[in-house]
Amino acid sequence: MAWKTIDRISPAVDADAEPVLSKAVKAKIRSFFDRYETKRAALLPALHVVQDASGSISWQAMVEIAELLEIHPSDVIDTISFYTHFWTRPKGRKVITVCRSLTCEVMGGVAVLEELKRQLGIDEHETTPDGKYSLVTEECLAGCDHGPCLLVNEKLHKRVGPQDVARILADADNDRIAFERSDLFDAPRDKVVTGAAAQEDGAHRSTSKDQEKRRAD
Amino acid sequence: MPRIIIDNRQIECREGIPVLQAALEAGLDVPHYCYHPSLSVVASCRLCLMQMKMPHPKTQEMVWSPKLVPSCQTPVRDGMEVRFKSEAVAKNQKACMEFFLLNHPLDCPVCDQAGECYLQDYSYHFGDAESRMVDQKLVNPKKDIGPGTLLYQDRCVMCTRCVRFIGEISGTHELCMVHRGSRTEIDVFPGLPLDNPLQGNVVDVCPVGSMLDKDFLFKRRVWELSGTPSICPGCATGCSIRIDHADNRVCRLKPRFNPKVNDRWMCDEGRFGFKYIHEANRIASPIVRRGLEQTTPSWEQLPEIVRFRFQEHVRRNGAEKVVAVLSPFMTCEEGWLLIRFIRTIAPEAALVMGPVPLEGEDQYFPVGATSKAVKFTILAEKCPNRRGIEMLLKAAGGTTLTFGEFVEQSGKGEFSSAWVVGGYAKPWIDKATAKIAANIELLVVQDIFESGLVAGAAIVLPARAWVEREGSFVNTAGLVQPFERAIAPPDGGRYDGQYLFEIAGYEGLFSAGRVREMMAESISAFREIYEAPVLPAHTH
Ligand code: SF4
Ligand code: SF4
Ligand code: FES
Ligand code: FES
Repeated sequence: MAWKTIDRISPAVDADAEPVLSKAVKAKIRSFFDRYETKRAALLPALHVVQDASGSISWQAMVEIAELLEIHPSDVIDTISFYTHFWTRPKGRKVITVCRSLTCEVMGGVAVLEELKRQLGIDEHETTPDGKYSLVTEECLAGCDHGPCLLVNEKLHKRVGPQDVARILADADNDRIAFERSDLFDAPRDKVVTGAAAQEDGAHRSTSKDQEKRRAD
Repeated sequence: MPRIIIDNRQIECREGIPVLQAALEAGLDVPHYCYHPSLSVVASCRLCLMQMKMPHPKTQEMVWSPKLVPSCQTPVRDGMEVRFKSEAVAKNQKACMEFFLLNHPLDCPVCDQAGECYLQDYSYHFGDAESRMVDQKLVNPKKDIGPGTLLYQDRCVMCTRCVRFIGEISGTHELCMVHRGSRTEIDVFPGLPLDNPLQGNVVDVCPVGSMLDKDFLFKRRVWELSGTPSICPGCATGCSIRIDHADNRVCRLKPRFNPKVNDRWMCDEGRFGFKYIHEANRIASPIVRRGLEQTTPSWEQLPEIVRFRFQEHVRRNGAEKVVAVLSPFMTCEEGWLLIRFIRTIAPEAALVMGPVPLEGEDQYFPVGATSKAVKFTILAEKCPNRRGIEMLLKAAGGTTLTFGEFVEQSGKGEFSSAWVVGGYAKPWIDKATAKIAANIELLVVQDIFESGLVAGAAIVLPARAWVEREGSFVNTAGLVQPFERAIAPPDGGRYDGQYLFEIAGYEGLFSAGRVREMMAESISAFREIYEAPVLPAHTH
């Protein structure tokens, strides 16, 4: 070949690898089939469930999802890569998303990002060695009137300056908010905490918290 | 038929087609990328936008709408008025072209598509000479997406034609779009490369130099090529194709629009299956053997020698001892001339249908489609003209044998003279068949490659590749499809039609059309030929 090229012919998954989707996860994905005319339409819910169960969606998982939905794996990566929400590489338990849009940048967002990089010791799109944090940037987080903004998992932190970074990182509760939610797109759990119950005990279980727990078990 | 007004010109157009298609059919050059007449409409490139007259919301008076609409997605309606020649339309075209070229490396000098590229053409006609891009261009690596095709992402205009082809026509779904917005790329799932019997068509549907045919990569500049309309001999489907050649060599084959057969597609087997014609070991010139003596007669002497030898045999052994084996690779005209010669010399001569090569199963596309949904078929019958030769045999009447019967009876010494035509791309004479050479006194073999039969023949005639001949094939559906000669035989000598014409006793230059006229007098099926329509200039 006259040019240097990326090799797309070699496989990304080992043909003999163990399946990564559990029976329960597969059953949950199948439970969406009735809702739509085609199995293909269940792709987004399936991706949510898998990401919730494993933190990210591996190449192997994509192949298994495709098989389940009777589509080509290329259709799965097509959809996954469209959304920044889906991760194809393992992500940290908490994802810090720093706003890189205009207002936040004018208000000093870059300094916040630099301070985060310094304190975490990682660059954008990287994960700390202990697997706790991943760092990314994103367009407007819809908090422009209080910039600079950053998001830790689902919790929005407003008016953040470089001096606030240490405090935010030290706060164990920096990533959760309490609101009524459904577990429709969550991975199947042994003990399902429904929205109302979660509200009652005042603390929502975020995805990553659950994973932490599961890992500890 | 609806009448619409485009740029103050009234045109009549087909029902139900998009305005863009109507404009193209009327001969207008409307720039477009994503629209492809054989694929679904996505209206994503925005290059084909037009202005349309619409009722004013207050006065109901018909006025030019300030907003542009995609002509590829707007069906024609009787009485509608649209325009492409307006400032707003031109401004959009310029803006689109600037976007398409934003990250383009402008490397036409090393691009295979240069010369037949719609980025070049549209930039020239509708774009601006200068780019205002001051930032660094995005550079994407080239991707090896499959055994036949290379993806040069930076040249891509994201029309998604390739993805739609793979989804809607081949039905194999290897291609996808990854990422979003300005960072979108075409890709495959790693390890599941673009690899299906129709994959070569993605290079044809790609309007720019993004999808590259590895087989043709860096071989030729396209303006050096001459195109000759032809028919693919790869299988009984009989796709219309164009032979692109230069310096008497075939460089590539491209499908040609044929609404009755192949639409705008062809299969890889047909597309790349021509390589055998440039092999060095082809039989180059005629050979005449008598005992141990072997001579190469001139083309002028040849007809006389062949006729004389056959007459001699008929006189000695009787007309029923003569047989001719016709090949499903012959054109109808060649078959007719050979039958005419043989039956004139020996009216009782037996005629044989040569072996019909069958490989695998018929393949239907999109994969998994049945009956009506089938958009393309590759047939297991790997020859172009079984039907045509059968029509000739039926019309000729008399004794006809299968190839098996011919081999068997030859083994018993039933024939003293035989004319066997091959022309198969792959070896077709096995050891057992080659043995019959010993039992036939006067064996004429007309073939393209050496074989056991050729070795034992008294007269060897070089069969030419189909690109070196003219004539017609009858495809599986019964269409008589004529094709032209693209290049000359390697030795510059005569081709099958010409020498058979002379051997059959005609004088002057062979012309397939003229022979067809003679054939049509006795065989009505040859009165009607089918030639695929030529597409309007600016369609692609
Ligand atoms: S590779 Fe070619 S056909 Fe495919 S989207 Fe890009 S420009 Fe269109
Ligand atoms: S389908 Fe048959 S006729 Fe058509 S391109 Fe393929 S081999 Fe040739
Ligand atoms: S610009 Fe940062 S939240 Fe909108
Ligand atoms: S938007 Fe009409 S051809 Fe692309």
